[in-house]
Amino acid sequence: MKTLAVIPAYNEEESIVDTVEELKAIAPQIDYIIVNDGSKDNTLAVCQEHGFNVLNLPVNVGLTGGFQAGMKYAWEKGYDYVVQFDADGQHRPEFIQKMVDAAVEQDADIVIGSRFVTEKKQASARMTGSALISGIIKLTTGKRIKDPTSGMRLYNRDMIKRFVYEPDFGPEPDTVAYLIRQGARVIEVQADMRDRTAGESYLSFSKSISYMMRTCTSILFVQWFR
Amino acid sequence: MNIALRIFLVIGAVIVFAMVIRKIRKSEMQASDSVFWLLFAGAFVVIALIPQIAFVVSDWLGFDSPSNFVFLFVIAILFIKAFTLSADVARLRQKVVALTQEIALREKR
Repeated sequence: MKTLAVIPAYNEEESIVDTVEELKAIAPQIDYIIVNDGSKDNTLAVCQEHGFNVLNLPVNVGLTGGFQAGMKYAWEKGYDYVVQFDADGQHRPEFIQKMVDAAVEQDADIVIGSRFVTEKKQASARMTGSALISGIIKLTTGKRIKDPTSGMRLYNRDMIKRFVYEPDFGPEPDTVAYLIRQGARVIEVQADMRDRTAGESYLSFSKSISYMMRTCTSILFVQWFR
Repeated sequence: MNIALRIFLVIGAVIVFAMVIRKIRKSEMQASDSVFWLLFAGAFVVIALIPQIAFVVSDWLGFDSPSNFVFLFVIAILFIKAFTLSADVARLRQKVVALTQEIALREKR
């Protein structure tokens, strides 16, 4: 199965090299593409120096548009699966193959690399947000997603096509909820994650609040009219 | 509708006219965009010159005072403008994203 890791990168000069080198070493069978989303730092130069495969967006368009660019690339190149992979080193490449195998075996459209299939959530502010999103996904789709905010998700070719052709399809929980309602088969595979190795969490308090508002509004309201 | 409000409407209309003309001169506004603002300023002048319009309509709709009707009218028009601008920006954003992606993908082909 041809699998592509799409790695959105915005100002990731500190962590991108370690992330990609680790991916190449541990999962050499997985292709990758870095989507440099108009970074203002030296992300592009660092990637070119190391001969990495980069899709270079000349201006910053945000995660949704950046990830969609990666999906368009995967669609053109005929990949069977795309895994969304963080540039900051949170995600572990050893779990990608497990996700692909699970997708093939169980004929899944989306596989979420989930922190909480076998492990339990600990109580914290962030996990309260995660539980709330789980709750409203359960409410609107009837399906229990244990780790909706995990950023490590695998999509099959049907899903790649939808990301290519539909605008405003962010690689976020609301899109997953929407796709479940549209009949997509979503499964979860246990995948442990690391704490960030470089940079600050982009989810500061105010950003967390607006992220929650946007996600909840999208799942509860916007998607019914798409 | 006292005389002060009528004078104020005319002054407002003159300022809007002046701003639109300045933007057109500097080619920062296209003819199609100027239509809205010219009509908007024109409506100010009409209401200032013929306040009876505001009296009749506000009476008919049950407003306490015609000036209240004039205020609400202006707010409603501006609200619609803000709403359509928000939709325009969304459409433009989509185009910019598509073009940016296309540039990146072409470079790769």
